[in-house]
Amino acid sequence: MTEKYEVKLSRRESLKWLGALSASSLIPAGVAFAVETELTKGIGHWPTLKLSPITAKGYGKDPNLIIPPKSPWPKTLTQSQLNLVATLSDILVPREGEVPSGSEVGVPDVVDEWVSAPYSRQQRDRTTILSTLLWIGDEAKLRFGKTFNELSSAEQLMIIDDIAYDKNVKNEEFAQIIPAFSRFRSLVLAAFFSSPAGMKDIGYIGNVPIMGDYPGPTKEAMVHLEQVVKKLGLTL
Amino acid sequence: MNENKYPVIVVGSGAGGAMAAYVLTKAGHKVLMLEAGRDYDPKTETPMFKTNGEAPLMGSGNVDKDFGFYDATVDGGWSVPGEPYTTGEDSEFLWWRARMLGGRTNHWGRYSLRFSEHDFKGKSRDGLGADWPFEYHELAPWYDKTESLVGVCGTNTGLDDMPDSSEGVLQPPPKPRVPELLVAAAAKKLGIPTAPMHRAVLTRAKDDRQACFYATPCGHGCSIGAAFQTTTSLIPMAKATGNLKVVTDAMVKNVTVDDQGKVTGVTYIDKNSHEEVSLQAKVVILAASACESARIMMNSKSKHHPKGLANSSGQLGRNIMDSTGTGLGAFIPSLAGRPKYNEDGHTANHLFIPWWGHKAHANNELDFPRGYHFEISSGFKQPGSGVSSGLQGYGSSLKQQVKDKYGAFVYLSLRGEMLPNEHCYMEIDEDVKDKWGIPVAKFHWKWSKHELNQVEHGLKTAKEILETMGATINHPLPSAEKAILKGGQIIHEVGSTRMGASPKDSVTNQWGQTWDCDNLFVMDAGVFASNPHKNCTLTIMTLAMRNASWLSEQMKKGAL
Repeated sequence: MTEKYEVKLSRRESLKWLGALSASSLIPAGVAFAVETELTKGIGHWPTLKLSPITAKGYGKDPNLIIPPKSPWPKTLTQSQLNLVATLSDILVPREGEVPSGSEVGVPDVVDEWVSAPYSRQQRDRTTILSTLLWIGDEAKLRFGKTFNELSSAEQLMIIDDIAYDKNVKNEEFAQIIPAFSRFRSLVLAAFFSSPAGMKDIGYIGNVPIMGDYPGPTKEAMVHLEQVVKKLGLTL
Repeated sequence: MNENKYPVIVVGSGAGGAMAAYVLTKAGHKVLMLEAGRDYDPKTETPMFKTNGEAPLMGSGNVDKDFGFYDATVDGGWSVPGEPYTTGEDSEFLWWRARMLGGRTNHWGRYSLRFSEHDFKGKSRDGLGADWPFEYHELAPWYDKTESLVGVCGTNTGLDDMPDSSEGVLQPPPKPRVPELLVAAAAKKLGIPTAPMHRAVLTRAKDDRQACFYATPCGHGCSIGAAFQTTTSLIPMAKATGNLKVVTDAMVKNVTVDDQGKVTGVTYIDKNSHEEVSLQAKVVILAASACESARIMMNSKSKHHPKGLANSSGQLGRNIMDSTGTGLGAFIPSLAGRPKYNEDGHTANHLFIPWWGHKAHANNELDFPRGYHFEISSGFKQPGSGVSSGLQGYGSSLKQQVKDKYGAFVYLSLRGEMLPNEHCYMEIDEDVKDKWGIPVAKFHWKWSKHELNQVEHGLKTAKEILETMGATINHPLPSAEKAILKGGQIIHEVGSTRMGASPKDSVTNQWGQTWDCDNLFVMDAGVFASNPHKNCTLTIMTLAMRNASWLSEQMKKGAL
């Protein structure tokens, strides 16, 4: 999986997008970062990031809500980071039959917009997520001498199997990456399930106008509820 | 009408100001309305049917849009650029403002519960706080009129905490959803009733407003007018009389008085030209929100009003109350994987838990004096930036974990009555001015044991209800001090210009007329003598309707 991730147009369809894209594929001045990775014997490695703060402006207190800003601030992930995010998105959310994968619905774009945003919550996540990406890259080099995207699927999963489960957190080597990867995973899942394909996949069937009275629960939903209520020793 | 002299100036276009303007213009009075924010049109500006995925950051909130990207609030939130406020030492207080026509009515929760006879006479019962200067039965007909005009869905329950509306006033409520029915079943076992929430949402068309079509959160605003906001109802209706003129971007600085201390008009800053404009009026109605109206009065000191306008009682800016807020949520295993259906409904509570403890209070069984209610948050909501916690692994099994938990969380939000106390008040911070050169408000805040004991009781009760629904709650409950939300955070601040029976301990009489200036009225939540747990907006509108009607009679009689 070494193919280049291409920014999706489907997420926010607009001609304006094309203009923004050509600008954001360059790393904007002021957001470059230096990295030192500490290789501490015994307890593994953890990258120390020196990030220049994001200085872009937010979308302000009166943005257009009907046509949301297409690219509210410059994106900051490099192409190789986007490629890695795409690979990880598809490990976390693979294609299942007709249901597209994470990268297919543009998850890396959402992650890029998120970590590049000037707000405090996103700035905290930026450190966590960039550390996660760097750790995974370093781990691939240390274990296999290649970049993560150059590894075979089996090799990739050897790393992911170690960091995707809370039970491994007792292993000091993974103590930092497990919660960090967990935050990344949550962001990927949110980005996937909030896409049109993701909303369909989770079974959300609202956001449509209903003429007349709200119909309430279906018969099937009520039968299920009645069983639950009975099992709990309650009455409706 | 002389260009610079008006019969009535109303400051503010939200619940109180728009209702006052509606009543007065309908009665034939010329009214000028001043709004500090920009003009706003829900018909063209509301993001109907927009999905979280289409918004920046999946629609999540931040310092620019505190309640998420699509929240209707314009140029406001917990902070307004260039318009700061300060807090006293050891005080935390958050002040929500909206700088837009219609104010906070564009995004409010639309919960519309009547205060009851208990609520108006709390002090007579337990000696705390203050009584209102009238009885429930005096306000009841005005509640009927307001509910009819606004459009409120719900039912008469006969519960002691929920006074009935007159026959035919309420519109039918939507059917409850599955998680709400399960909460109701669990609460029933514990002897706690549930009831259809009353909301200012049309389930039947009214005037130019359509009935709800059960999609798009009301907090985004409502382009079809189903969810009540003054910008799709009272303001256009008042304008249609030909008697209302609205000026937006008009930041009122102070109320002016003559040599005798009588109100002569207002001075405002035109936000576009930055120029100061003075207008004259026979009557001034402040409805800028409880704390903004009090700020204007404090910034209107004069020889006759050395402590602030109409503040001979010393109560101006005192007695500020918010609702108490906290909550507890849990994963309900038996709801996991339940059959899917459209649970948007009118996008807020169809059922809720009204206060059930009147008898327990009467029997002195509780260690806190005033009641609360629970709002129920649950359902198959539109996915956004948040996902459930505790997820493991990757791939299909990971996705399945998310799907299993979808629609299986229930959160109970407590909203309770607080009592006024001497530590909760506002004043003017003489050292800080906003960008318009107006001195800013400084807030002081401290919860008392009344609120903390209530919150502790609420958390225990919420835990019991959730456990009765089959939840496992392993973590210990947080202390009340930690669990209670900050002052102002529920956005129900009231009491800064409270009404009463005597000029000695209140700022206005029962008509919202200041004791010290007969041509100065307050028609926002500042006049509340207490802050029952039931959300303030319906009562703001009801009082404004009643008091503007009284004012109209006075003007017609020539008394004003």
